[in-house]
Amino acid sequence: MNLKLPIFDVNNLNFSVGNQNILTDISFKIFHAEYIAIIGPNGGGKTTLIRILLGLDKPSSGEVKIFGKKIRNFRDWYKIGYVPQRATLVDANFPATVEDVVKMGRTSQRGLFTKESSEDRALVIDAMNKMDVYNLKDKMVGTLSGGQRQRVMIARALSSKPEILILDEPNTGVDMASQKRFYALLKQLNTEEKITVVFITHDIGVIADDIARLFTINEKAIICNDPKKVMSCDDMSELYGIDAHLIHNHRHEH
Amino acid sequence: MDMLAYDFMQRAFLAGIIIAILASISGTFIVLKRYSLISETLAHSALVGVAVGLVAGYNPLWIAVIVSVLSAWLIEYLRTSFSLYSDAVLAILLSGSLAIAVIIVSIGGAFNNSLFSYLFGSILSVSYEDVIVISIFGSICLAILLAFSKEFYFIAYDEEVAQTSGVRVKLLNFLLVSVVAVIIALSIRVVGSLLIGALMVIPTVAALQYKQGFMKTILISLVFAILSVVAGITLSFYFSLPSGATIVISVLMIFIVSLVINRR
Repeated sequence: MNLKLPIFDVNNLNFSVGNQNILTDISFKIFHAEYIAIIGPNGGGKTTLIRILLGLDKPSSGEVKIFGKKIRNFRDWYKIGYVPQRATLVDANFPATVEDVVKMGRTSQRGLFTKESSEDRALVIDAMNKMDVYNLKDKMVGTLSGGQRQRVMIARALSSKPEILILDEPNTGVDMASQKRFYALLKQLNTEEKITVVFITHDIGVIADDIARLFTINEKAIICNDPKKVMSCDDMSELYGIDAHLIHNHRHEH
Repeated sequence: MDMLAYDFMQRAFLAGIIIAILASISGTFIVLKRYSLISETLAHSALVGVAVGLVAGYNPLWIAVIVSVLSAWLIEYLRTSFSLYSDAVLAILLSGSLAIAVIIVSIGGAFNNSLFSYLFGSILSVSYEDVIVISIFGSICLAILLAFSKEFYFIAYDEEVAQTSGVRVKLLNFLLVSVVAVIIALSIRVVGSLLIGALMVIPTVAALQYKQGFMKTILISLVFAILSVVAGITLSFYFSLPSGATIVISVLMIFIVSLVINRR
């Protein structure tokens, strides 16, 4: 593993729908073991950016490289763990135990007809232990609380042994106490396991001390390398009215 | 058992049990994908094949398999390449297929008892050739379903997450609908094209009432489907009723009992 090779190398990325520009001229790199938060107003293009990084949407122009490879040539998707925004909104009737869901993370690395190998088994148990859901393994996912489901979804992503975790507003439908515990777990994965963590959030105040870099996305991107100064970051305030925006979101969500 | 002394009953049971296994396993995936109606649409498409077969004098089963698979591909193509609602695509192809089938049989003068048996199933109609075709194609379908069961399950759970973790979602969706198309075409002898949808969907929905994990749900669905087919064919024999109808009534009874005993 080349630690100096950027995991994501994005150059002059544009994405538009019809005449409307959703993302304009975005460039950045994300390196091994970084801890990055993405903020921005609703409709500002945060989720679109993540979808492009994951190959779910194609950029209108520009280039995205993953581990040095152009996105269309990239095959090792198991290296990227993705937890979508709606992850905690599980269909209550879906026939899946916690273990069934965590095992899904191994799917693309297992062969046809093959039984679960001892390595698969070990990784699934390890992921459940790390997320503290092993004791729930036989429970139906639909019966869990929001915070428990969230940890199950991350355990699923972890079981593929990813080098990067990407989470889109992971705290949707999760109570405040679980959110704090959750951020502590994410930080722990980042520092102890050296997993790169990138997440979209509105709770920047809660975690400003922890994050290494902050991306503000509102059609364009502003990369702030010192999040502690986010409130005084002049160009950000001028361009995006970030102070007003943060206050706006907090008023709505809490 | 007296009824097993008849060759045609042996064939009906053999074909019926193979169909029950295939319909319940593939049905689990399409129900979880919220795609239950595809079974109805493909069954009507299979009727076009039956109509061509009856009019042209070929074994309708073969042509039903081909037309049903082509229809499945058309559905997936329309669903993924145009911004059409999936359920609307299914409704359009369902009525369109039925219209074409009716025109073909009307022009060909094949509106008779033989067509009736393809609509509602008949234990008398299962030939040796049918049993062989059902066994061969059925084994291939079962092998595909088992080989890709974890992928199909993951896709049903969350298609986008499956795709981002390296599962080839588009290809596997095509494969699943193709397998479902073949299974439906194979089923029309015993269950009938108007009733096969029920055998695909109801055992799984009944099994879901027990709120178990993936493997147990598939096994419960499998047992329900086999029980319904055995009960349905037996009822069909003793009361001279179309087997598709008696099978569906049996599976409906199982569903109602499952609903009641699992009521919260």
